Amino acid sequence: MPKKKQDLGKYLSRYWTLYLLLFLPVLYFFIFKYIPMTYIQIAFKKYSIIKNVWTMPWADNHGMEYFIQAFSNRDFIFALRNTVMLNFLDLVVGFPAPILLALLLNELKFKNLKKFTQTVAYMPHFLSWIIISGLALQLFAPNTGMINGLINRMGFPSVPFMNEPVHWVVTYVLMGIWQSVGWNTIIYLAAIAGISPELYEAAAIDGAGRIRRMWHVTLPGIRPTIVVLLILNLGRILGSEFDRPFVLGNPLVKDVCNVISVFVYNSGIRGLQFSLTTAVGLFQSVVCVIFLFIADFLAKRFGERGIV
Amino acid sequence: MKRRIIMKKSLSVFLCLLLTVGASFANGSKDAASAKFSKDPDFANGKFGTTRSITVEVFDRSNDGGTNPENNFYTDYIKAGMLKEHNVKVTFKRVPRWTEPDAMNNLLAAGTAPDLCLTYSMPTINTYAQMGGVLDIAPYLDTYKSDLSNLYNTVGDLNINFARDPVKNVVYAISAVRYVNARTATFVREDWLKKLNIAEPTNSAEFEAMLVAFKDNASTLLGKDAAKMIPFSMGVDVGWEGGLILDQFIPNAISDKDWWINGFCDRHTLQPGIKEGVRLLNKWYNLGLIWKDFPLYPVGDKTAANNAKAGYVGAFIGNWDGPYRDGDNGIVGGLHKVVGPDANYIAVDTFKNDAGIYRKYQSSPLDRFLFLPSTNKQPLASMMYLDFISKPEVRKFLQIGEEGVTHITQANGAIKAKAAKAPKIMNSSNNIDLTMTINGLDVGDPSLNALSLALGYAGVDPKYIQKSYLLQKVGARYDPIFTVGTVASESGQGPQFQVKRDTLLAQAVVSKPVDFDATWDNGMKAILASGVQKIIDERAALYEKYYGAKK
Amino acid sequence: MITSKESKIGDRFLIVFCFLVIVVCFVPILHIAARSLSSMESLIRNDVMLLPIGFNIDAYKYVLADGKFTWALFWTAILTIIGTGVSLTMTTMAAYPLTFDHLKGRKFFNTVIIFTMYFNAGTIPMYLLLKDLSMLDKPVVLIVPYCLSVFNMIIMRSFLNSIPDSMRESAEIDGAGPIRVLISIYLPLSTPVLATLALFYAVGRWNGFSDALMYVNNRHYYPIQLLLYNLIMATSNIDVVQQEGGSLPGLSESLKAAAIMFATIPILCVYPFLQKYFIAGATLGAEKG
Repeated sequence: MPKKKQDLGKYLSRYWTLYLLLFLPVLYFFIFKYIPMTYIQIAFKKYSIIKNVWTMPWADNHGMEYFIQAFSNRDFIFALRNTVMLNFLDLVVGFPAPILLALLLNELKFKNLKKFTQTVAYMPHFLSWIIISGLALQLFAPNTGMINGLINRMGFPSVPFMNEPVHWVVTYVLMGIWQSVGWNTIIYLAAIAGISPELYEAAAIDGAGRIRRMWHVTLPGIRPTIVVLLILNLGRILGSEFDRPFVLGNPLVKDVCNVISVFVYNSGIRGLQFSLTTAVGLFQSVVCVIFLFIADFLAKRFGERGIV
Repeated sequence: MKRRIIMKKSLSVFLCLLLTVGASFANGSKDAASAKFSKDPDFANGKFGTTRSITVEVFDRSNDGGTNPENNFYTDYIKAGMLKEHNVKVTFKRVPRWTEPDAMNNLLAAGTAPDLCLTYSMPTINTYAQMGGVLDIAPYLDTYKSDLSNLYNTVGDLNINFARDPVKNVVYAISAVRYVNARTATFVREDWLKKLNIAEPTNSAEFEAMLVAFKDNASTLLGKDAAKMIPFSMGVDVGWEGGLILDQFIPNAISDKDWWINGFCDRHTLQPGIKEGVRLLNKWYNLGLIWKDFPLYPVGDKTAANNAKAGYVGAFIGNWDGPYRDGDNGIVGGLHKVVGPDANYIAVDTFKNDAGIYRKYQSSPLDRFLFLPSTNKQPLASMMYLDFISKPEVRKFLQIGEEGVTHITQANGAIKAKAAKAPKIMNSSNNIDLTMTINGLDVGDPSLNALSLALGYAGVDPKYIQKSYLLQKVGARYDPIFTVGTVASESGQGPQFQVKRDTLLAQAVVSKPVDFDATWDNGMKAILASGVQKIIDERAALYEKYYGAKK
Repeated sequence: MITSKESKIGDRFLIVFCFLVIVVCFVPILHIAARSLSSMESLIRNDVMLLPIGFNIDAYKYVLADGKFTWALFWTAILTIIGTGVSLTMTTMAAYPLTFDHLKGRKFFNTVIIFTMYFNAGTIPMYLLLKDLSMLDKPVVLIVPYCLSVFNMIIMRSFLNSIPDSMRESAEIDGAGPIRVLISIYLPLSTPVLATLALFYAVGRWNGFSDALMYVNNRHYYPIQLLLYNLIMATSNIDVVQQEGGSLPGLSESLKAAAIMFATIPILCVYPFLQKYFIAGATLGAEKG
């Protein structure tokens, strides 16, 4: 026993600075991430604007009142379904997109064109969705939109980009990609830059063409990055951004455009039902954590270093 | 194994620490205490012995060229007056107009809300009241009635007591008075009627014929822009922008009682007969008479207004003075610039109900709701403020400002508004943000009021305003007010219901005629099942309880 | 050997592809720029496509003259610079110790930190906390609560992990403590990841407005996006429109567009500026071999 203590003492005297460095971040997490969790109890209580969190009265049904309210609300169930569906599509289509773009950009020989394309590609990221929705309507409106105008002139009937549910979903996902793909390539391009050029040369000497080099050198080289980002994104399956569905949605596609965040906005925030809002948020977070652990476990199974 | 135990131990220590710290944090903020009423000994003849301080909410509209809403020529006037007459120091607290509900939530939650607040949404006040966040002002209204004479005279007994709970005798909010009680009107392009030699439509069939005429003559009317013709423009808020068309199908004989019971929806969607109105809109939409893309643009989007300004729109329904507002930036202003000075929108009466009356279902004279958050430490001083700004000379000054600067008195005594620049610019028209208890110009004489009103729109010939205003009185029927205290099932329902209602209306209008009945019936069923039927039932029960005996 | 034919086809395809990307991404910005320089009539008629019609710079003159835009821009720039500095420091302080495999309690720290990425308390609890800390309506509330992103920390940690231990070990043998090692070895090699994260944090702060919306009431503390939100989105606010019914005064169309350009252009210039640091990564790859 004493030896162990001695070892510990030696270790700390050598590496105490590491703990010093960690102190501030850990304090930050404690205050701004963990303490708010104690306020989550609002989800189980009747929120009162003038009462302290600890003195608010408990909600009915053993505190589960708001969860019951949420799940028995038909709109919430629809919102849940829509959230999962849209997030899943975003993942399936939107996750590979920046990887693909990064790979293609990497192959470009002309450095200036590459730089220019990169710079332009991330521009849409800076436009807030409010601005984009205005643009979207100008482009995609069935009768007055620019694109349908062109299509009509060519003799075809209008495409209902935004007023039919299936078309709307496709438009929604594609707009999401358009807005974020350029931005997301940044990480991948940085990772690709870290791959040793000698590996490429070796592959070229072995007779590998362009595509094979991409497959055998570039992709494996950024595999750790891809896995990490995939795990992080999988956990977000139930998360829901507010801006995009809110501004792109309209009454004709209410069945698919209503997601959890919009539901929370209408029922919780505008309706001043804070307990309900917190309860739904709690539900989302719990599901997130479950997915995180599943994804991390799977990643480790496949030999990659997880994140937990 | 040992590692696991160490992990577990450290996690549990962590959690304990968390809970302790969390509890101590929260203990820092105390529960807001609510004041108990007692007569203030320091108050006599309308004045306080020691100077009191209050904060008053004022909207910040961030308008171009506007002055600081908390500190400008008009707030100085109010502050000086309050100090002199009541010995109360007033500070204004600005709240952004556009994000007002969020900001108000934040302020109330943080306990830093102004002492005197106003909002358009009564359900919001009720929700806060149920949480204990609003002060009961019934004792002040009753005990100090003689000192609040200006307030009572300006807004009237009805507006003071409309929300008085008949059982508990509490009042959480009073209402400002709406002087110009007008809602929506139907507008058509006067110049197009002349060009096509059509008379103003006097009934629904003529209106439809007019729309068809617009559509068929698009090339005559718009030349190369013929493809952009919009005979009738509507917005996604179908209940408002198609309201008069729908309202004509409500049976004229409907009683105040039934009207009120179904009155949770301010767009009248729960009233009988509406379905047939929507069916008519559906017919017109499928005939190509209504702007095809109307459901895609969110509420408040400028595209519809721009279409009108650009001259593409033949007719629309909107606020009774909507097209005439905002001078150059308004619809008629834009129309004059883009099309020419002869282009104008004129208000017409077209939609008759089953009794042959051009029925206008106007609002009750209730306007904005004023309340005191429970953090208010100076309720009496706040009430005196309301009395002060209801004083005729005070509110007249706030509404019209100085002669020659913000208004010019005409030969017949009417007041013509004049746009001013800083520092005497009015941040809101007639300083409505400061005249908390009144909405609408009052210069002291009803006939002068009417004349002045017509002069208040820059760049617009007064005859249009007058016509629209006169039509508002034709067939007018006002919302009844029944005081039943709080309707519990309404809490939290407002925004959710609005979204569902707008969705149903939009979907029903654009559906194919064969699908119309199914769409409407299913949608309505879903809405009723989501809690709205409960509201209707509760209202019916409350009505019986308090008014059932009297007939 | 690569056949030149194959690479030529590939090259052409890539060039066409790049061209498409440029068009799709650049055109919307061009459109907004055109709107900001056009006359009101042409905007009302919705005629403006890619080129301004009725060219005038009135909207920009107005924006520059109006104090609140220039102040918000200046204020947001300050917030961004300070915020990015704080964030980078915090991120490094968290990531670096976690790269030491032998760090006692490493698993504990990892779990505690990563957990917060998935389980967060939500907006209302955060709001209540800030209220209890009396941080509301003070500038610090726009810097501190979200200064450390676990996502970014993981990126940095992965990057630092990829620097071979041999470099650290040789320095330790020479007697350097962990902080010396950080400063003299890791930081110089980390310019790509620092540049990347600086970009992420800077853009996050520049574009972010929902925290200010909830936590700040004083208009002087508004970041520029919130100001924009108030001016543009505002007139579409559902409740207001229903209360004041339909037609609201708003910014003129060209003013809206000019304000958007005004708020967007500065941050668009940050990436090209940081790009040269990204290139350093390429040389790192060579050294690794």
